[in-house]
Amino acid sequence: MSAPVEIVLVYQSLLGIYGDRGNAMVLLKRLQWRGIEASLTMVEPGDRVPPSGTVYLLGGGEDAAQVSAVRALQADGNLFRGLEAGAVLFAVCAGYQICGSTFTIGERDEVIEGLGLLDVETRRGPERAVGEILTRWTAPDGREHLLTGFENHGGFTRLGPDAKPLATVEIGIGNAGDGTEGAVQDRVIGTYPHGPVLARNAALADHVLSLALGRELEPLPRPEVDELHRQRVDFVRKQAARR
Amino acid sequence: MSAATLARRAAPATLRLPDRLRLGAAVAAGNLAAVGSRLANRGSGASIRGQVLTRLAPDAFKLLLRGRRIASVSGTNGKTTTTHLLAAAVRYGLGADAARLVTNADGANLHYGIASALSQARSADIAVLETDERVVSDMIAFGQPEVLVLLNFSRDQLDRNHEIKSLGRSWRAALQRAGHDGPTVVANASDPLVVWSAGTAAKVVWVDTATSWTADAALCPACGTVLTTTDGRWDCPGCDLTQPAASWMVDGHSIVTPHHHRVTPELRVPGAFNVSNAACALAAATELGVGLDAALHGMRTVTAPAGRFATATLCGTTARLLLAKNPAGWAEALPLAASDPVILAIDAIAADGKDVSWLWDVDYEQLQGRRVIATGPRAQDLAVRLGYAEVEHRVVPDLAAALAAVHHERESRPGMDGGVPQAPVDLIATYTPFQKLLKMAGLR
Ligand SMILES: [Zn+2]
Repeated sequence: MSAPVEIVLVYQSLLGIYGDRGNAMVLLKRLQWRGIEASLTMVEPGDRVPPSGTVYLLGGGEDAAQVSAVRALQADGNLFRGLEAGAVLFAVCAGYQICGSTFTIGERDEVIEGLGLLDVETRRGPERAVGEILTRWTAPDGREHLLTGFENHGGFTRLGPDAKPLATVEIGIGNAGDGTEGAVQDRVIGTYPHGPVLARNAALADHVLSLALGRELEPLPRPEVDELHRQRVDFVRKQAARR
Repeated sequence: MSAATLARRAAPATLRLPDRLRLGAAVAAGNLAAVGSRLANRGSGASIRGQVLTRLAPDAFKLLLRGRRIASVSGTNGKTTTTHLLAAAVRYGLGADAARLVTNADGANLHYGIASALSQARSADIAVLETDERVVSDMIAFGQPEVLVLLNFSRDQLDRNHEIKSLGRSWRAALQRAGHDGPTVVANASDPLVVWSAGTAAKVVWVDTATSWTADAALCPACGTVLTTTDGRWDCPGCDLTQPAASWMVDGHSIVTPHHHRVTPELRVPGAFNVSNAACALAAATELGVGLDAALHGMRTVTAPAGRFATATLCGTTARLLLAKNPAGWAEALPLAASDPVILAIDAIAADGKDVSWLWDVDYEQLQGRRVIATGPRAQDLAVRLGYAEVEHRVVPDLAAALAAVHHERESRPGMDGGVPQAPVDLIATYTPFQKLLKMAGLR
């Protein structure tokens, strides 16, 4: 039997302003409900990040918090060790931006070096992207899924050759209004829809878990999650049609 | 101690004749619109009055503030209740002269809401005004308040979260410009963002509210360093910003005055957070010259400020109405809600914040073992949250239907309310459903 699965929620006090802990709760419960032993570790700056994580999670935060988080993660080093050992990193919003090679902060667009885990660069966009977003994501089995979420970011992200978009945008801004959303590179996934994006999108949540565990998971019927997904897709399409 | 005395009368400005005529006409038009709104059963009309008034006289806010003694109350959470507590303290202190007081008791706290309230009491020389965070700098500039209460400053609407810091900056700038003519700021020393925002004020009275909500205060607002907390006091290791020594303190259910008197407010509004609000109101009342006993007596008359904590019978169900606008508000309201079932009403139109990801920052797990009825347009988001929290629940999207459901259930099982027959069901709502409930209950 394999070791228990460890979900590591990184620096909530810095990167957790959009209910991002929700993604950790969702992953944990979806494992436990399937009878898979799993634990949640929450680390704050000053604590050591465990190198033993199965899935690491980064959430949304403000400019200053992004810089603090990058410094602390670089000084700590264990996130990188965990990823080398085969863990998955799922990062949203500001957490996605700091995974890139560079991003900017403040009114003067100061360029900050990121964690270098994704071949993406983020610069201030022409206007803030705030609102419901709807994208199409193709799962490894070739099936297409709609992803629904809420994006709120001032940075626009351009992908380099080593990163592939996670999804294509149907409604909303996504990476840079260029029709792409998020980025995937090796076992690192970054996406703009923040907070509990995994609460709305069970298929993506289970994909993150399958990737981390290296095996398929049996289906987990949760009608109320499907209903929420249906309602949000419906809402954002109606809203877009009215414009 | 403050040298202020309630006996000092101010004179609301006498306007130049053209201004007076213009404002008079605008007020009359606003009043007419308010009557129309009441007849059409669209609420008290205060808001529409203010809108008409400020459209016809864009400077009404400025003109109507002029010459009064003003206490302004702002902050993310608790400003309506604190305004009511402070107004009640002043009213009690004024005794037979209570007509000298004007307040925007309905919670209409933007420019036009304030103008609307002031237009109805032209000769009242003391104004206790709930003030939206976005109006604070104009209030400082045009109202020259005697006292400004800053309660707390947490993220409210997530889709507007990035505005918090710039609001804080605008307060600092306004206080700086006001210089020595600026208000005495009664400020919550437990809140780093408030402390930073009040940092440019000429005079501050610090209140240690012993608040526990720290999730929004991880970083120093001045320099961005991660704040540390030792023995309940916060400090910035990166710069000078630190929790100031307070002259008023909350200690459990009591308030300790600058003279080390320990008073128990014995409020009729529930919760530890209202003791914190009362401490700020008491400090502000003292600055205005209200005696301690009078202020306490006055505050004890407050029961349901603008409908908060009111009990009303709706669709056959007796419910206690609790408002929670943001995670900090939910952290306060949830422990108060003791009924089974409990009704939670969620919406996400502009005033609630369009982003409901905050649902995942609220500890709904504490409801395990009780039944929840999830209602409101975003009930499904709550249902998923409750599902992951393993809280038994059902979704009844329509608010009236949710209340009726409790009524039917209770009819079929009379007296089965955990041994308490027909105890009010606790209903916690975000802003928009809360307003809807007040209207249904005839409370506004
Ligand atoms: Zn600092």
